[in-house]
Amino acid sequence: MSEFKALTDAVMKGDIQTAVAETQSALDAGANVQDILDKGLIVAMDEVGEKFSTGQMFVPQMLRSAKTMQECMKLIKPLFQEGQLTAKGKVVIGTVRQDLHDIGKNLVAMMMEGAGFTITDLGVDVSPKDFTQKAEEVGADIVAMSALLSTTMPAMRETIKALQDAGIRDKVKVMIGGAPVTENFALEIKADAYAPDAGSAVIAAKKLLGIS
Amino acid sequence: MASPDITTFQPRLRVLNREQALAIHTAALEILEKTGFKMEHPRVLEMLADKGCKISDGDWVCMPPHLVEEALKTAPKQITLYDQKNAKAMELANENSFYGTGSDATFTQDLETGERRRTVLQDVSHFAKLVDGLENIDFAMSMANPEDAPIEDIYVYVFAEMVKNTHKPIVFIADSGRDIAKIHEIACLVVGGEEELQSRPFILNYSEAISPLRFPENVMEKLIFCAQKKVPLCLPSGSNAGGGAPVTLAGAMALGIAENLVGLVVHQMAGKGSPFLFGPNVSALDMKSSVVCYGCPEWSLTQAALADMRDEIYGLPIWAFAGASDAKVMDAQAGAEAMFSIITALLSRSNLIHDVGFLEYGSTSSLEMITMANELIAMSRYYVQGIPVNDGTLALEAIERVGRGGPGSIFLMDDHTYNHFMDALFLPKLLDRSRYDAWKNEGGMNLYKRCNMEAKRILLEHEVDPKPDTVLTEIEQILKSS
Repeated sequence: MSEFKALTDAVMKGDIQTAVAETQSALDAGANVQDILDKGLIVAMDEVGEKFSTGQMFVPQMLRSAKTMQECMKLIKPLFQEGQLTAKGKVVIGTVRQDLHDIGKNLVAMMMEGAGFTITDLGVDVSPKDFTQKAEEVGADIVAMSALLSTTMPAMRETIKALQDAGIRDKVKVMIGGAPVTENFALEIKADAYAPDAGSAVIAAKKLLGIS
Repeated sequence: MASPDITTFQPRLRVLNREQALAIHTAALEILEKTGFKMEHPRVLEMLADKGCKISDGDWVCMPPHLVEEALKTAPKQITLYDQKNAKAMELANENSFYGTGSDATFTQDLETGERRRTVLQDVSHFAKLVDGLENIDFAMSMANPEDAPIEDIYVYVFAEMVKNTHKPIVFIADSGRDIAKIHEIACLVVGGEEELQSRPFILNYSEAISPLRFPENVMEKLIFCAQKKVPLCLPSGSNAGGGAPVTLAGAMALGIAENLVGLVVHQMAGKGSPFLFGPNVSALDMKSSVVCYGCPEWSLTQAALADMRDEIYGLPIWAFAGASDAKVMDAQAGAEAMFSIITALLSRSNLIHDVGFLEYGSTSSLEMITMANELIAMSRYYVQGIPVNDGTLALEAIERVGRGGPGSIFLMDDHTYNHFMDALFLPKLLDRSRYDAWKNEGGMNLYKRCNMEAKRILLEHEVDPKPDTVLTEIEQILKSS
């Protein structure tokens, strides 16, 4: 049994108060911060992801767990040395140019963050240039784009082109999603992955970066 | 003897009392006055400021309730849509209900293979033609977001395809002020001019604001275009419970209505007296898959509530949905969900009822599903007619004849039956009531298979008189100029 079971349980239940208190007491007791992250928080979120994808948990419960983890992260993050925090990967995410619909994108961002990715959320109506600049700036592993309108889908192709033109296309993986987006469209524009929903987005992102 | 003038009660559903209706309305006004909304169209922003709205943070607007009251007074209580041969087709008012298809499905269920595949332009023509041939489907929407149409003019192409394949009214989508002008141009060609289109509109534009409380520039461009050209329009937002709106239905309705009222106010400012079809889309976000549900009881319930609010407060014709499903294929779930929304929409007297024929929460369109819905609508219309009670229907004379008629006297043989059975009973075409052996001998087909055959038959046999060559040529020119 993990020494962080109470913390893990609290994150899974979405009990922010208990989880934060457990994190604090683990820190007070001198626990290793990387262990708190890996064996307490990430373990919990992996289990949450598993339960969610098998239909044993609802979206608001999953999001509450993610929020609980974020609150705990606020306590432990400052204790990591610069660059020491081993995140699963850096993701730059946004809805494409002219697309203002962000519920799906927000869900994906929350779930990826919960799964341990570092998220830079550019919001809505993100131009190919902004995607590219931010990806370069943060050294992104993944650029994730969302579109709800078929009329905005061409902006996905343009963003991929912008990444090429900036010479960083081979350094980042590109993921796309949104109601009118299909697997075939992803193949056509040479994106690296398509995800039909937030749960699959996390799985696809892990697969792209070769992490379990 | 029964009195000759007994009125027939027509079954009617109510889900809100007056107190509830007023409370939701008041909440909507409070949202507009206290919370406000984001208006991203600069000229509209100026118009609203001139009318006394408070503007902050550049484009955040708080609206006083009196503007809403004024707009409710100037918007017409009735919108009449004509068909493309200038005949009255849909009087959107009071308790009249009309059903039609939906727009923008990414996929369709292929009529030949049964496979789910990407939609193409040809699908738009098939759907329009099927709508034209089904007696209970009153208007057409595209049912497809075709992959073979140029994406920047996709809505112009699907509109042209619909015009070529049906004479029924069309509810259309546009992207911005640019393509809506082209669509309008085509519509004018069809009826012979802009004045003709204004006096006998066969089109209605569907646009959406973004919940919560966001009004993008391109959406307002379309709204102003319609207000100025007197093209009827609706502007439901996606104020779905748990998604764009609070998870509780009252709050989701209040938000959706508030957003609709913003549309109405701006619309009436841009074109006083122009026709505005009222009503938000208040479905529910599924708490597992996060899809917006098309087969859920929530959407049927909120639109019934909206019908009550129409009757209590707004007096404007309303927008609704029915005949759709979250099922991936046309199975028992699809049938159950389609029927649930079809009958409740009619029982609550929704006016313009779209989305008939959708599977997979609106992502897949199905010709078979529309064909089935056509029959379910007939069944529902029969039910809602109620039970006429008069001398003819009480049939005491027939009872006397048959009752005293001695051995061998049966109602089936009586003239009263012969004279009345077609009106008195619902006579299904596709719902199967045959005896087992007959059903088996006919191939033991389920409803899906029968609908498939019927849809194929209609597409083969139904004829839509083509539009005049001159019109078709000009449409081609508009498409080419795109």
